Amino acid sequence: MKNLFFAGAAACALCFSATVTSAQTELSRNQIINSLQGAQQKVEVSADALQRAALENIQKYPGADSPQTIPMYQQLASLRQFNIEITFDFDSARIRPESYEAVGLIADALHTPYLQGQTFFIVGHTDAKGDRTYNLELSQRRAQAIREALVTTFQVPGSTLFAVGLGEEQLRDPADPFAAVNRRVQLINMGYN
Amino acid sequence: MKYLLSAIAAGMIFAAGMTAQAQTVGFADAIKILAVSCGADIDKYCKSATLANNGIGQCLDQNQAKVSQKCNADRAVVAGLIAERLAAQAAAPKICARDASQYCKGVKPGAGHILRCLLKAQPSVSEKCNTAIDLAGYR
Repeated sequence: MKNLFFAGAAACALCFSATVTSAQTELSRNQIINSLQGAQQKVEVSADALQRAALENIQKYPGADSPQTIPMYQQLASLRQFNIEITFDFDSARIRPESYEAVGLIADALHTPYLQGQTFFIVGHTDAKGDRTYNLELSQRRAQAIREALVTTFQVPGSTLFAVGLGEEQLRDPADPFAAVNRRVQLINMGYN
Repeated sequence: MKYLLSAIAAGMIFAAGMTAQAQTVGFADAIKILAVSCGADIDKYCKSATLANNGIGQCLDQNQAKVSQKCNADRAVVAGLIAERLAAQAAAPKICARDASQYCKGVKPGAGHILRCLLKAQPSVSEKCNTAIDLAGYR
């Protein structure tokens, strides 16, 4: 459970030292915009329903690892989206200072006219270490923490952001369930309301 | 490395202070200053405070007697930078309304279509609107 969610702070100190200049920061913001813009078809999935489906997946298929994908989640696969690493304190939803910049980049992207007025899911994922229900709950709190930081500190309209935690139910790399690539925050453009 | 980052952040603050009227800083660059200048103090004194609701800012405020001088100086700057950018972004559509109706007639609003049009029409667009776009960080 030590490496829940995201790569260690030490690893990320390196990645941030590579992005100190503001030109590269701009590039990252634009990467987020380019990945998220262009909302196409409408998918009728609510954040609450997706959260419930994740919990039901654990109840229906108990065990150490999730044997099934969540059909409702699969519906989101074709939507515009972006994966980003945010680091947190161990066992906690407190965002590490090293990741403030990443949260700020999301705010920079969401505040551009290219993305304004659209609705986004902030989906937290962990790797497969530890208890599934625990991971689900922690990832939910962490997604919520990112949403709150965006809404309060950076004043992104709260009505456009929904936090969901999927724990280890939807690994990005099921063949390597403990891989760092599984620990991620996924932003999904849910389109205009 | 840490010292180097601090130096860069200090340089950014200096630059921002020097050209307060002509430039604003993005949210990522602003909050990065807080992480760099206050990261150690945050870990020491604000273990339960969060980035949401200005929790970190309030905690640093309550501990300002213990917090490093650099952090105390920079955290006020960070709050100011975020507020400046937010104000610039709120102002841009109003400042550019006339240019938009003049040069982007028939362009469907939303999804950044108007902004894309104004960026393309930059040479014709008024200086006021071009400056507003710069300050909003929309270029």
